[in-house]
Parts: sequence; C-alpha cells; structure tokens
Amino acid sequence: MSEFLAYLIVGIATGSIYALAAIGFTLVWQTSQTINFAQGEFVMLPAILVLLAVKLLGVPIPVAVLIGAAAFVLIFGVGFKRAIVDPMLPHGVLPLAIATMSLAIIMKEGAKDGFSAEAQSFPSPFAADTVSILGTAVSVQFIMIIVVAFASIAALQWFVTRTRTGRQMQAAAQNPNVARILGIPVERMVMLTFIINAALAALASFLISPIYLAKFSNGETIGLFAFIAAIVGGFNQVRGALLGGILVGIFDSLAAAYVSTSYRLAVPLALLVLIILLKPEGLIGRKEERHV
Amino acid sequence: MAIETGPAATTGAVLEMQDVVGGYGRMTILHGTTFSIRRGTITTVIGPNGAGKSTCFKAIFGLLPLRSGAIRFEGRDVTGWTPRRLLEAGIVYVPQGRNIFPELSVRHNLEFGAVAAGPHITDMPARIEAALDRFPALRQKADVQASTLSGGQQKQLEIVRGLLLDPKLILIDEPSIGLSPMLVQETFGILQDLRDRGVTILMVEQNARSALEISDEGLVLELGRARLQGPARDILNDPRVAQLFLGGAMEPAA
Repeated sequence: MSEFLAYLIVGIATGSIYALAAIGFTLVWQTSQTINFAQGEFVMLPAILVLLAVKLLGVPIPVAVLIGAAAFVLIFGVGFKRAIVDPMLPHGVLPLAIATMSLAIIMKEGAKDGFSAEAQSFPSPFAADTVSILGTAVSVQFIMIIVVAFASIAALQWFVTRTRTGRQMQAAAQNPNVARILGIPVERMVMLTFIINAALAALASFLISPIYLAKFSNGETIGLFAFIAAIVGGFNQVRGALLGGILVGIFDSLAAAYVSTSYRLAVPLALLVLIILLKPEGLIGRKEERHV
Repeated sequence: MAIETGPAATTGAVLEMQDVVGGYGRMTILHGTTFSIRRGTITTVIGPNGAGKSTCFKAIFGLLPLRSGAIRFEGRDVTGWTPRRLLEAGIVYVPQGRNIFPELSVRHNLEFGAVAAGPHITDMPARIEAALDRFPALRQKADVQASTLSGGQQKQLEIVRGLLLDPKLILIDEPSIGLSPMLVQETFGILQDLRDRGVTILMVEQNARSALEISDEGLVLELGRARLQGPARDILNDPRVAQLFLGGAMEPAA
C-alpha cells in the first residue's frame, strides 16, 4: 500500500508536467490548428538553454533560468509562430504538422551537437528531503512539482476565464470570425497562445529535468505522453488536458512499477487506443464542429 | 434620384463612403463606391449578387483593406480603423449567418459583446439585465447554450449583443436569411424601433421588397458602385430596379 501511494504520487507529479505540455498543445491547436509534433522537444530544450547559459556566460543558475526561459519564449513562442506557423498554415494543417516534425528533429539534433549527447544533471529548486504521507516517505521534490504545476494551471485558468485579455483569447480560440466582429484583435490573441505555450513548456522543462536529467532525447517520450494526454482529455479543453496528463502520468508510473520498465511506454498507448475506440472526443472533450 | 456628392451631401450624413476601391486578393469588388447615409434612417442596400453589398460592409467595419478612397463616420475620417476602434466610435456590424458562440450560454455571449470594445462601460451587468428584460425569448434561455436558440432568436441575440455598446450605426447583413416571414417582421420591427430611438441602420437584404417597405432610404449597388439612392418608396417603384432584379443590367441613369 505504501509503495503504491509512492508510485501514485510520482505518477501525479510527472503527470502534471505532461499536463503543462498538453495544455499548451491544445491551446495552439485551438487558435491556429497547429499540431505541434515538436512539443516534446519544446519541453526538452529550455533546460538545455539554461545549462548552456551557465556554461557560456558563467551566470548563476537563477539568472540562467531567466535567460533560458526568455530566450525560449522569444524563439519558440514568437519566432515559432512567425517563421513556421504563419507561412505554413495557409497551405493546410498537414504541411504545418510535417514542418513541426522537422522542427523536432532539428531541435533534437541541435541540442545534441550544440550542447551534449550525454544526460546532464539539472539543479532542483526544491529541497532533497522526504516527508511522510500516511507512513510513506515521499520526496519533497514530487510534492513541490505537483504544487507548482497545479498552481500554474489554476493561474492560467483564472487568466483565461476571469481577465479581459484571457476572455478575448478564449473567444478568438472558439471562433475567430465572431471574435473579429466583436473587436477582438484575433492575431494578437493567437500570438498570445504561442507565448503561453512556450512558457508552459519552459516551466515543464525546469520541473522535469531535475528528475530525468537534461538530455537531447527527452522530448520523444514527453511529446508522446503530452499528445496522448491531450487526446485522452479531449484536445480542446484545459481541464481535459490536465485530466489526461495526470492519468497518463499515473498509468506510466504504475506500469513501470508493476508491469515492466521495458514495456511501460505501451501502457499509456493502450489507454490512448481505448479512448479512441470508446470515447473519441476525449473524456471531457466536446465534439468538434468547425464552420469554414 | 441622382446620387448627391460633394459638400451638400454631408449635411446630416452619419456615414460617407468616398470613392472606395477594394476587394480580395487581386479581385476588385468595390470600384469607387460613393454614397452617404443620413442619420436616424433605415437604409436598405440592394443589388444583384456580386454587387459588393457585403464587401461594402466589411470595408466600413475595417475588415477589408482599401486600395483607395475614404470612409467618414460622423465627420471623422475612419479609413483604416480597426473594428475595435469603430465599435468604440459607435459602429456595430452584424454579418450574415450565425455569429454567436453556440457552446456558450446566451448571457456569456452577451458578455463577450463588450469584452474588447467596452472596458469603459462599467454598468455592463445592468445593461445585460435590461436587454434580457426587453427580449423575453433571450431571458428564458439566458443560462442555456446559445445553440438551443432558434434562428430568429440567434439573430436577436446578435443584435442585442451589439446594442449593449450603445451604437450609433448598425450594419446588418441579410438579417432575414433562414427566418420565417413572421420572424422577419419581428426582426424588422426591432430595427424600426431602434431607428425611432435615433440609431442609424444600414441593411443589406435580398428580401428587397419587405426590407424597403420598412426603410426610409434605398441604395442600389451594381458592380461595386452606387447606382441609385433615394426614398425607399421611390426605389421600390422604380422600373429600372425591377429590371435589375430580373437579371438585366441597369440602363444608364440619365
């Protein structure tokens, strides 16, 4: 039982990180039909940029984190939209999706060549202590990941539903044509979703890298799990992506513990297949209806 | 019946289009459109398909970049303004078809009406309540998904959403599409009521006869130019207009 609880908490912690990536994924899908196959690499790279800043500039970690996050949001938030999404989207969803696949390869190989092929340790901002929950020793690290990720998602949800800018973003995502006649600056709102996506990816990167180390190939699993999480949750909702992320995290953690570490990847995929068969619109998604 | 241009036309004009040229991509739709709309009137714009009626509205509302020409609203040059600035200045646009968020509640749809252009409006909740009081059909469904509204009620919702901003000019494109004759009369009734309260209404309508019957003025567009403008009754009885709608080209208005 105590062992189960420990695995469950680890699952929720990694799941909340997948949720961050999955939420960004659904946001850019909603506002601009971008299926970002580089989303995993988006989570891999910010930590690498931080370590690079430390190495090249000799700045302390907190400064490097700021530099890394700012550079990432600028290049992979604003730059990604301007250089890849804007030129490709008029040609359709598929060419854009393929472009993001290419971007994933470039980011991965770039991180390998430009930084390191080896996994590098990434400092955790949280104490290395453990706390006892129902008699089980649980690492503070995992608890804090859950706290930070949930607080960020709650803040995002508050922003989207309660602030004027957030509501304009929501309207632009739901129907850009209607948003336009209500005076909402749709283009700026779409850009905002790309900035938020990059910021969420950077946060996910800084939370997951202390556990899994910073490595060029980290994006493969994270991207897949974020994708599964988005579909399981229902692709077009923040709450769905959160639920999907947590579920995938728990499944993965329990599968690694009780099934097999070598076959762990298959378990979330099995979850995906089940959802696609039984509830294709996702657990709390709604059926997609688009008018062109 | 000739189109007045020049300084004389500006008297009492709330909206003026001056030699507006514009279109989509390489295609030009508006070929120097010029007309002016009197304050406090309902003007119905008629014309064959492709005459540029809807395009004209998009141009006025800042959704179509102009190649040349100017648009003035209440004497101010508003050419190139964003929809948001135009909303703030008092122009509301109700395009053809369904322009609501079907998954959101009626109330939420109304709230979105002022999300961009109305931060200065502090009594929005009270305005929404007042609007719901005036339109019982919307009140009844205030908290259910707007997709459950009938076609006529959806159009009503779009009009009411625009009214929350206290507009001076409403551009409404084909409000009668898909509505039963009774609902068309109801929608027209709402527009007449607004006109009586001083709002200027510019309407595009295929259903030309019934639209002109409730209008003060008629405006005939053909090939992106204003061909005729005058009292609605005259337009209604003009043989050239009948000919135009029978498919023939209009003879030069001597």
